[in-house]
Amino acid sequence: MNRREFLVKSAACLAAGACAGPWARLASLAKAQPAVDLAVVQGPSPRANVRKAISLLGGISAFVRRGDVVVVKPNMAWDRLPEHAANTDPEVVAEIVRLCLEAGARKVKVFDRTCNEARRCYLRSGIQKAAEKEGAEVPFVLEQRFVKMSIPEGEELKSWLFYRDAVEADVLINVPVLKSHSVSGLTIGLKNLMGILGGDRGQLHHRFDKKIVDINTVVRPQLTLLDATRVLLRNGPQGGNLRDVQQMDTVVAGVDRVAVDAYGAVLFGRDPAQLGFLVEAQRRGLGVLDVKRLRVEKVSLAA
Amino acid sequence: MDLFLRGSPLVAVATILATRSWVTHVFLGLVVLALTVPLGRVFCGWVCPLGSTLDVVHKISLRKRKELKKPSPTRWRWVKFAILVGILVGAALGTQMLWPFDPIVILTRTADVALYPLFTIAVSSLLAVMVRVPFLEGAAYRAYSFLHAAWFPLQQPSFRLVELFFVLFVVILALEKASSRFWCRNLCPLGALLGFFSQFRLLHRQVDESCTACGLCRARCRMNAVEDDYVTTSAVECIACGECVSVCAPRATHYAFRKPARSGTVDLDRRRFMGATVASLATVGLLGIGFADRGRRGSVIRPPGALPEADFLDRCVRCQECVKVCSSTGGCLQPSLWESGLIGLWTPVAKPREGYCEYNCNLCGQVCPTGAIQRLPLEVKQRTKMGLAFFDKSRCIPWYRGEDCLVCEEHCPVPDKAIRFDQRMVRRPDGSEGLVKLPYVVEELCIGCGICATKCPVVGQGGIFLTNANEQRWIDSQFSSQ
Repeated sequence: MNRREFLVKSAACLAAGACAGPWARLASLAKAQPAVDLAVVQGPSPRANVRKAISLLGGISAFVRRGDVVVVKPNMAWDRLPEHAANTDPEVVAEIVRLCLEAGARKVKVFDRTCNEARRCYLRSGIQKAAEKEGAEVPFVLEQRFVKMSIPEGEELKSWLFYRDAVEADVLINVPVLKSHSVSGLTIGLKNLMGILGGDRGQLHHRFDKKIVDINTVVRPQLTLLDATRVLLRNGPQGGNLRDVQQMDTVVAGVDRVAVDAYGAVLFGRDPAQLGFLVEAQRRGLGVLDVKRLRVEKVSLAA
Repeated sequence: MDLFLRGSPLVAVATILATRSWVTHVFLGLVVLALTVPLGRVFCGWVCPLGSTLDVVHKISLRKRKELKKPSPTRWRWVKFAILVGILVGAALGTQMLWPFDPIVILTRTADVALYPLFTIAVSSLLAVMVRVPFLEGAAYRAYSFLHAAWFPLQQPSFRLVELFFVLFVVILALEKASSRFWCRNLCPLGALLGFFSQFRLLHRQVDESCTACGLCRARCRMNAVEDDYVTTSAVECIACGECVSVCAPRATHYAFRKPARSGTVDLDRRRFMGATVASLATVGLLGIGFADRGRRGSVIRPPGALPEADFLDRCVRCQECVKVCSSTGGCLQPSLWESGLIGLWTPVAKPREGYCEYNCNLCGQVCPTGAIQRLPLEVKQRTKMGLAFFDKSRCIPWYRGEDCLVCEEHCPVPDKAIRFDQRMVRRPDGSEGLVKLPYVVEELCIGCGICATKCPVVGQGGIFLTNANEQRWIDSQFSSQ
């Protein structure tokens, strides 16, 4: 046996071994492979939009199985009302919670490490009330529950503090809101995961593009659902002017989080290829940036 | 606590005297004072929370001593009157000096910035230990959620001067070792004020013929108000607590609206009165010429709605209610050290590097017991300027290092953004060139909330800081009296 044979054979053995164990899991994933990459649903009811978008991706059971602990991560970082579009729409979050519990999830947790005082954000975003009404737990983030994790693929960051509940969850569903942001250009899904980070997050703002991708190499949400019900066009990420908000009544859902963000950029009227963090994410193999290469299903729901 | 503060007659009298204006906030204090004339010092015996605390401490620490003891000396009683005279003279001259001495303020201050945080940190530490024990983990997190829902600060607050406040409080408690209610007998200026009016009281201690002269009433009197004959009672010192009634075996003692044998002297002779007056005058003068340099004065950032500085200092009793409530939101307020001189000691100042003024919060004005901070409606508060932010370009990341940052701009709560940026080509320290977003402050829009300084990621001294430039301090009759 020469060296090349040895390498090929051992690689084959490893691959076989790796496949044999979680075969059932792989099979179920294969079955859940959605027919489309991105579901884009526009309509007057945020809840109906969410339901349709998820059903286009193969239904919630493609992501959530009986007994799973699900973390739904909205953006509720700011002490602003839903109409300011600084936070994810509460109806969107509530509908996802409902679907997860219907699919048999053991527990659904909704939380965010906020920028303003947490109680104000939880209350005034409307998310706490809406999600709790559907049966979710909406706990405040505790500093003691951040764990330091290494970032093996990190180029700028080698380790950071991550929230234990988010990392340990069986399923993580990222539910960002589409809005403007001066540093990154836009804040969408990849950036929304900053809400599960501890420590001094301000440190992430310089060389942001690389750092946010570093973070996303560790945390991989199974589903990203972008809320573009209302979009904050200027003065993000917290806004405050109703005239900066545009009603778009749209949700975008997909497994490929780079693709969801890229589609969000297009919705916003920006070229995804001009957004540094998306280019970086594609370069590092996190997903597809070119929306034209994707199977996008657009649906318009009537009132 | 708030109700007690508003009900403190000393706060009422001194505030009204110092500001030479009617202060609606302290109306309740005047009611208490008026009640003293018929009833005597019932406030001290039945209401004052510091008095009750002292009684409890006394009971716990001296539980075993039951035998008759010699009543402790009365020769220090004049001190409280001297303090009162000093405070009132100062107030008449327009300088409010009650804040180190008022018992309600002392208790509130200690409870707000020392005892309450001690309690929360104790509970949180206990929960943190519980979390490590597997079968208690769930219960601990449920307890966290419950406590965080309404009670506890989400972030453990920490305050300047807690050690000092705590020690001063412990000293007052420790004086119980010398005699019961040592503070109330000898030092409390509120007791002195009530005692003065108590001379004219109508409710008196009565002793009838069945008295066996056992002396228990004299020995047990908290205030040492009963004299050697066990009948004569000081109308000034008696707080009508009723201890003498309950210990009297033959039931010879009771209270009634009838003139009895009594003594009613205020223990302050003319020499000491003059001494207190002169001391007060000197203190007022020294406080007035006390020096605070321009740098320090510029760092005195007051909460939004604070009255103009002179009025503010006259009204603020340093109770720390605003400081405590602020710690549950943005957490910018701290008791001041020497920023505004000794005259402004312990008044609330914003420390923007430590915490910020929450844009949608006006709680400090709501809790202020004297209206030193006006109760601004939220829309008014949101455009009331506390100060102005400045970039320190030698410390701001885009300016000195040529890399994007803009954390300050992200957090700026002004809807149109008081922090904006220019995108410019810059040469970095390593020689490379690139487009960088360079932030600047729009002076007309900046409200001085300080969240930019709080969130600035630069280690140590931030890349953006605040002064009280542009601060808006005015009296609006609409907000100053609620």
